[in-house]
Amino acid sequence: MVMPRTAATLLSLTLAALTLTACGGDTDADGSAAAGTCDPSDVKLVGQVRNESNPYEASWLDGGDLFAASVGLKQQRLTYDGESTKQQEQIRQILAGGDTTCLVMNVLPNGDSDTLPIVRAADQAKAFLVTQWNKPAELNPADYDRWISHLTYDGVESGRQIADALFEAMGGSGGIIALQGVLDTAAAKDRFAGLEAALGQNPGIKLLDQQTANFSRAEALAVTKTLLTKHGDAITGIWAANDDMALGALEALGQAGRAGKVAVVGIDAVPDAVKAVSESQMTATVSSDGPWQGGIGLAIGYCVATGELDMADITDVQRAFFAEQFLITSKNAGDFLAPKTDPAGFKCDNVFDRVAAPLT
Amino acid sequence: MAPLVDTRPARSRLRRGVSVRDAGPPIALLVIVLILSLLSPQFRTMGNALNILDAAAVLAVVTCGTTFVLLLGSIDLSAAGVMGASSLVVAVLVENSRNNLDLGTLGILIAVVLAAALGCVSGLLVVLLKVPSFMTTLGVSAIGLGVATLVFDGVQPGVVDPSLRSWATGRLLGLTYLTWIAVVCVLLAWFVQRYTRLGRYAMAIGGAEEVLALSGVRVGPYKVAVFTMAGAFYGLGAVMVTSQLGSGLVQSGASYTFASITAAVVGGTLLVGGRGGVLHSTVGVLLLTVLTNGLVLIGVSPYVQGGVQGLIVVVAVAVAAAPLRHRNQVVK
Repeated sequence: MVMPRTAATLLSLTLAALTLTACGGDTDADGSAAAGTCDPSDVKLVGQVRNESNPYEASWLDGGDLFAASVGLKQQRLTYDGESTKQQEQIRQILAGGDTTCLVMNVLPNGDSDTLPIVRAADQAKAFLVTQWNKPAELNPADYDRWISHLTYDGVESGRQIADALFEAMGGSGGIIALQGVLDTAAAKDRFAGLEAALGQNPGIKLLDQQTANFSRAEALAVTKTLLTKHGDAITGIWAANDDMALGALEALGQAGRAGKVAVVGIDAVPDAVKAVSESQMTATVSSDGPWQGGIGLAIGYCVATGELDMADITDVQRAFFAEQFLITSKNAGDFLAPKTDPAGFKCDNVFDRVAAPLT
Repeated sequence: MAPLVDTRPARSRLRRGVSVRDAGPPIALLVIVLILSLLSPQFRTMGNALNILDAAAVLAVVTCGTTFVLLLGSIDLSAAGVMGASSLVVAVLVENSRNNLDLGTLGILIAVVLAAALGCVSGLLVVLLKVPSFMTTLGVSAIGLGVATLVFDGVQPGVVDPSLRSWATGRLLGLTYLTWIAVVCVLLAWFVQRYTRLGRYAMAIGGAEEVLALSGVRVGPYKVAVFTMAGAFYGLGAVMVTSQLGSGLVQSGASYTFASITAAVVGGTLLVGGRGGVLHSTVGVLLLTVLTNGLVLIGVSPYVQGGVQGLIVVVAVAVAAAPLRHRNQVVK
């Protein structure tokens, strides 16, 4: 127990000394100099998500493959079944495998608390890291050498966007029910806050009821059926915190014989939902563009690793940002039916094109 | 002759115990229904009663399978994976949005047989390798999820087949087809449990496996058969979920593993085996479904619903089991 701790102290002292030297300005040897020296063919790309059994995360990894192919490399696809311990174990194994200074990881941390150990491990192994969706507020990529960026989406904004689209479809008045996600997640809280904000500006709309369906299609089906019994024809709109629940609600409406009479909105733009929007069964959904997410994390890391992008040139905003998201309605659903990714978006000059706002 | 005399007092004590325990959950169900009816005018409508039965259908079918495994004194954690595999398989075999297959009823049959096969694997592992059912079924669940993820392949298959879709939408005498399927399954399972050798032996294995083995019954094949039958029920449950949700989902069975075990135990099918049965478990299913439905209707905040539901279940079971606490083995 004593030995490792001494070693750790020594290590951190050394690191501190190195940082001081770097601040002194004579060498940047440890940070960006090594950062820019990787031969493109030496770069190793890793994409890690929870599982491949949902369309969104599967499309994320496909996007990573697409980018990898565009630079003549292969992406290692990792999934951890939504288990935090398994994710950490995979990260440890990846980082234990030989030279990791040209390793690029695009990671979806399982939860906020999982981000710190991943960041620390990557930084220590000098592997380049981009994280998405989850990080504790106080943790900032700018404080680390190898954690290039963290990107996520403004849930309040997406919750409000679909609410506005829903209210418009309802003609500005009527009653809605809200299907919330897993109540203790940031995504569920933010999206619902967006709905509440929109409700504040639309006094004609009444929130009849709000229930959680835990982001699940099956639960949404059951809850919606019950709420249809409770409120009957007073319900003219359904706001769901994700598409799976929206699709469950849609099934419930169909089984209650009310399909087409109630407007339904969701978030995520899963293929079934985009199809439903294009067929006007659903009113709107919001896309974060999964394939782009899967490609962009690797692209940012690749650009820095090969020296095409200098860490020094990356602004604080680019290191932690809300990415642009897209509202899909019947007008533009056709464009989103077949997920397509523009490789031009992964060019080193364009990797930060979708920075929408600094992470707050 | 002597052993028979010896068992007599034990038996009669058991009988008395059974009657009290049997009455508990149905009384709890009645009381809860009564209270909810008083609190919510919407709850006591005919439409809502039909809605509850419809919502309980899938869980009832899955719980039929779980019940037999619990009667053995084993546990089955494979429902999630087995259902995921069946759901995906049925979705790609009937008329669907992803390929040109249109096997109809044959597709449904294949999905159920696949599920039965996975159940059979669980059973074989338990019997041949003597691995605890806890481990084998968890492993088989992972296999099922693996199969499901492979078939899923990044694109959700949507069910187009009109006859399968009608399972969830079609109605006969006011009840959805799903409800009728569940009713038939429960009756069938009850018949198996009550009148067939398989059902009687399942009960006996849970009660006293060694005694049964000593008296010359080869226990193994019956155990395998029970796991296989449970798998078939999960498979049918998965087909029903797929019809409800309109597409094949890997996670379609995710919540059913523990929901079915909870329902069975709440209804009076004990985890130690040999006690309870299909009808007990069905009461448990109704109790859970009525609670989920009723708490929403009387307007309990979603933030406390989970907690309230758990509390009511615990209290209901505790009150119902109070008279026999001293000999209820689950207490340990």
